Amino acid sequence: MTFINYVAHEINCKIVYYGPGLGGKTTNLKYVYGITSPENRGKMISLATETERTLFFDFLPIDLGQIRGYSTRFHLYTVPGQVFYDASRKLILRGVDGVVFVADSQEERMDANFESLSNLEQNLKEHGFDLYKIPYVLQLNKRDLPNILPADKLQKMLRIKGEPVFEAVATQGIGVLEALKAVTRQVLVALRKTA
Amino acid sequence: MMLSALLLRKSEYQQLQAILAKTQKDLGADLVILIDRAGHEIASEGQGLTLDHTALASLAAANLAATQELARLVGETEFSIIYHQGRHRSIHISDVARKYSLVLIFEDSVSMGMVRWKVKRAATLLEEILQESRERKPTREPGVSAAPSFTDAEIDRLMRHLSPIADVEGKV
Ligand SMILES: Nc1nc2c(ncn2[C@@H]2O[C@H](COP(=O)(O)OP(=O)(O)O)[C@@H](O)[C@H]2O)c(=O)[nH]1
Repeated sequence: MTFINYVAHEINCKIVYYGPGLGGKTTNLKYVYGITSPENRGKMISLATETERTLFFDFLPIDLGQIRGYSTRFHLYTVPGQVFYDASRKLILRGVDGVVFVADSQEERMDANFESLSNLEQNLKEHGFDLYKIPYVLQLNKRDLPNILPADKLQKMLRIKGEPVFEAVATQGIGVLEALKAVTRQVLVALRKTA
Repeated sequence: MMLSALLLRKSEYQQLQAILAKTQKDLGADLVILIDRAGHEIASEGQGLTLDHTALASLAAANLAATQELARLVGETEFSIIYHQGRHRSIHISDVARKYSLVLIFEDSVSMGMVRWKVKRAATLLEEILQESRERKPTREPGVSAAPSFTDAEIDRLMRHLSPIADVEGKV
């Protein structure tokens, strides 16, 4: 839920990084954290297991600066990717404004990508959201690995509605900001429709 | 989903703030903070404690969400309060109108009965104001601003903030 505070002149939005386990969601957030100047970011919170797998979520608040006198706060969340954490995953979608789907480009992860996409659609529906209407971008991650499918093939399989698609190597920051910008843009454009 | 954007009038915001201030004062709480389900802070009161409101709001929202889901699992529908009693400080998180939560941080000397009573009262008052604001159609009423309709150029300009620090400082 976008929270617009007309008094304090603030816009607050929630972006969720979704996708199969180990696809690179947390890595996206870490990169954004790393390149944001300290005054424009809050504390990054990771609720993870001892082995650093996301247990509940990672959270990173960032300030994007001013737009027409409004401060913009974006709250970035990741969900746990493993199938058995579905209950937690669903909770993180509460009040979501936009989704970045982080797909794993490796051939052997295709089933996991599809499963996660289908799970996203279902979980959004349970919150009353429609995957086909919500601000959404597709990130094809791990483009640096050898065993990956060609981008055009992946796109054909995973793209659902003409959303922007980005090839990425999250560990090197390639395609990370591009995806975040694209989803942010969609969220801000969607605000027009409430006007 | 964007239609759920919360549009508060200045007067309503002041009313919310006043309710939080009264609750804070009555309980001598360190901090009283109203958040939405997405984990955004709507308003807060209490200067005694400097802590990260953003982190607090996000964790409290997630905590309440998880607790309510646990409740549903065991067949409980009304399970809308979380209370953590620490050695020095306690945290009380309660549901407001199923869409918001009130988070209190106070010292352990405050009586729990009193907390429950004041929180319940505050929740009822907050609910009235928030309910009214939610039911309002954004543009229909004078004195209520609609969601801002940004131009592409404005959005482009904002997006420039989102670039590696080096690019910004390095006068590309
Ligand atoms: N080679 C390569 N490894 C990556 C890339 N992105 C993430 N990883 C690695 O994949 C593993 C899982 O990443 P993580 O961000 O924790 O995945 P999450 O479960 O989706 O949050 C980590 O070891 C990352 O370093 C990438 O683009 N290329």
